[in-house]
Amino acid sequence: MKASLLRRVLFIIGILVATVGALALRGPRLDERPMHTDESVHTAKAGILIETGEYTYDPHEYHGPTIYYFALPFVWASGAHTLADTSEWMFRIVPVVFGVGLVLLLLLMGDGLGRWAAFCAAVLTAVSPAMVFYSRYYIQEMLLVFFTFGALASGWRYTQSRRIGWALLCGACLGMMAATKETCIIAYAAMVGALVLTVFWGRWRDGVAIPLRASVKVWHLILGAVMAAVIAVVFITGFFTNPRGALDLFLTYGNYFERAGGVGIHDHPWYYYIKMLIYTKNAPGPWWSEGLIVGLALVGIVGVMLRRPDSDGRNGRIGIGVLGLNVDLGRFLAFYTVLLAVGYAVIPYKTPWCALGFLHGMILLAGVGAVVLLTWLRFVPARVVVAVVLVCAAFQLGQQAYRANGVYAADTRNPYVYGHTSTDVLRLAQRLDDLSKVSPDGKDLLVKVVTPGSDCWPLPWYLRRFGRVGYWSAPLYDCDAPVVVVSQELQEEVEKRLRGDYQTEYYGLRPDVLIAVYIRRDLWDAFMRTRM
Amino acid sequence: MKTSSMKWIGVVSAALFAAVLVIPAVYAAAQDMEAIKIELPKPMFVGTPKNIVSDNLEKVTGKKREPFLAPKDVTLVSEGKPAIASDMEPIIGELEMVTDADKEGADGSFIEFGPGKTWVQIDLEAAYEMFAILVWHYHSQARVYKDFIVQVSDDPDFVKDVTTVFNNDHDNSYGLGAGKEKEYIEVNEGRLVDAKGVKGRYVRVHSNGNTSNDMNHMIEIEVFGRPAA
Repeated sequence: MKASLLRRVLFIIGILVATVGALALRGPRLDERPMHTDESVHTAKAGILIETGEYTYDPHEYHGPTIYYFALPFVWASGAHTLADTSEWMFRIVPVVFGVGLVLLLLLMGDGLGRWAAFCAAVLTAVSPAMVFYSRYYIQEMLLVFFTFGALASGWRYTQSRRIGWALLCGACLGMMAATKETCIIAYAAMVGALVLTVFWGRWRDGVAIPLRASVKVWHLILGAVMAAVIAVVFITGFFTNPRGALDLFLTYGNYFERAGGVGIHDHPWYYYIKMLIYTKNAPGPWWSEGLIVGLALVGIVGVMLRRPDSDGRNGRIGIGVLGLNVDLGRFLAFYTVLLAVGYAVIPYKTPWCALGFLHGMILLAGVGAVVLLTWLRFVPARVVVAVVLVCAAFQLGQQAYRANGVYAADTRNPYVYGHTSTDVLRLAQRLDDLSKVSPDGKDLLVKVVTPGSDCWPLPWYLRRFGRVGYWSAPLYDCDAPVVVVSQELQEEVEKRLRGDYQTEYYGLRPDVLIAVYIRRDLWDAFMRTRM
Repeated sequence: MKTSSMKWIGVVSAALFAAVLVIPAVYAAAQDMEAIKIELPKPMFVGTPKNIVSDNLEKVTGKKREPFLAPKDVTLVSEGKPAIASDMEPIIGELEMVTDADKEGADGSFIEFGPGKTWVQIDLEAAYEMFAILVWHYHSQARVYKDFIVQVSDDPDFVKDVTTVFNNDHDNSYGLGAGKEKEYIEVNEGRLVDAKGVKGRYVRVHSNGNTSNDMNHMIEIEVFGRPAA
């Protein structure tokens, strides 16, 4: 009894230590990296919620509102009332919390994965460069992964206890997935497919059926499903301020199926994600690899598929394997991860953060794989050597994570940097701030931004504190203003229409994309007097 | 002879005499000049970068640089010379790469420094009369390095007797004074700075990030000169 209590306490301490490590890698310097276009769009949407209390679901774009609602506590705690009052950390702290929460959720699966495997998975979650990078990114992905794992973990707990609380929590997590991002249906499909395949595999491999009926109560499942629907509807309708949102949640899939079908700039081949994870070096400079996770995950998959569980007849269920792993759970996670990876691979539309879902599955399996590997080695010195190698490899992953979020946070050589804003935009923001200090209008300095389509992002974020900023997608008749920001495509036409005397500058918006800035001469001279 | 006629004869004679002296001198000087031989690395990106119009950005023409003429006894004097930098522990590479004659920009031939104001300094180990200073930052994509300033001095600390031979820091953000030269998009030709025969032992090259990211890079610095008299 005491020994098992000690093991449980040590396990909890191990997970907490990994959690602190996860926080240390994710938390600091959230405002250093320039805002990605997608992040700045989401801050603008969150700004509407902050300032008006209203949210309207758009079935064509932007995904679900959970990242906006979860930013509210941090915004309110800081005393901000408008978007102009906010800072980067108030938004980016949201994925940090959920990214760290992923590690803590492993406390719910210690008895399922085996405590050592869960601890290894906690460490890998903490140090995975992709997990760390997108835990600092104000987009929905990390929340989706958290709620997905929350559903799996609470679902597992339900099968072990048959308590309605876990069923409701599982339902709530499934509902939060839907309220976060429409791609949740890929995860739903992978879960159902994994369950079916696990049952068939168990029957074929072990000759024993998994006692599913004994593990669940139907009315618990129904209540869980109702909870999922209620949670999703509450958020998507903006707490019932926009009832139409509930219908749009279904209609939106027509739009997303069309986008997923491809023929756009985000189309990539089927091996895009796996290649990114295994090895990336796309220019002279550092290399990147999460091959440790992929390799150990493969070992874990082989281990759970081939391993036969020990039968102890307890509650009619198949008992725990020698590794402390519940073999059925391991197989379920293996099928789930593979199905999810295949699902994302076949969709032509790809962005790097979409890999997080199945990467997290790989991490869980990698935890199992590490233990399987060490258990297979009978020779103790070999075990020690392999253990040391794995620790060093995990440390190297942590170094990559540190690098990816430090000097390479906005560098195109970082495989997780995708269509990212150049750090030069921060200089532009500083320049405009400096100009406002020498302008008699201060922050009401008139700024005209002329860029085609939606090419102005993330400028609205950096100009949020300016009181008079206008955005045009074509040159206007009167282009003159104290400051004019114009894209390359429209510069010639805008310049023809400018009548004043201007100093021109240019800034990198994204790699290979420059924008011109026209500063009225009197303002420029006033600024330069402060410099000389 | 009338006085006015004498005057005209005197003026014409003086002009002819000056021409006889000057033209051969110029011709002789021209005969002593030749184009310095610059070995260029392979281009790392294809195509001509898109033009953006700015007072302080050179227009991209896509044409090759004109040959640079210098006295015949001018040679490459920087190869293998020691280098130091504001950051002695670069993120990638070693400082020796700055004068190793490898300009390809591939792994093992460039240095990457962290963000912010950065300088690299080479010691020519003797005073030279410099005519051309060439700098290659990083040319794998079309980017502009900010606050590109080149200075020459006999003082290794660059406190006194410093000559600035190039400065495109139009807003004095680096703090060494506002420059009037234009910024430029990096290509495989590197940047040639006309040093106009300035004398000195040390050459310091500054930069402050680029339009793609905050990092600073250096592939090679070449100095063409001759021993100072």
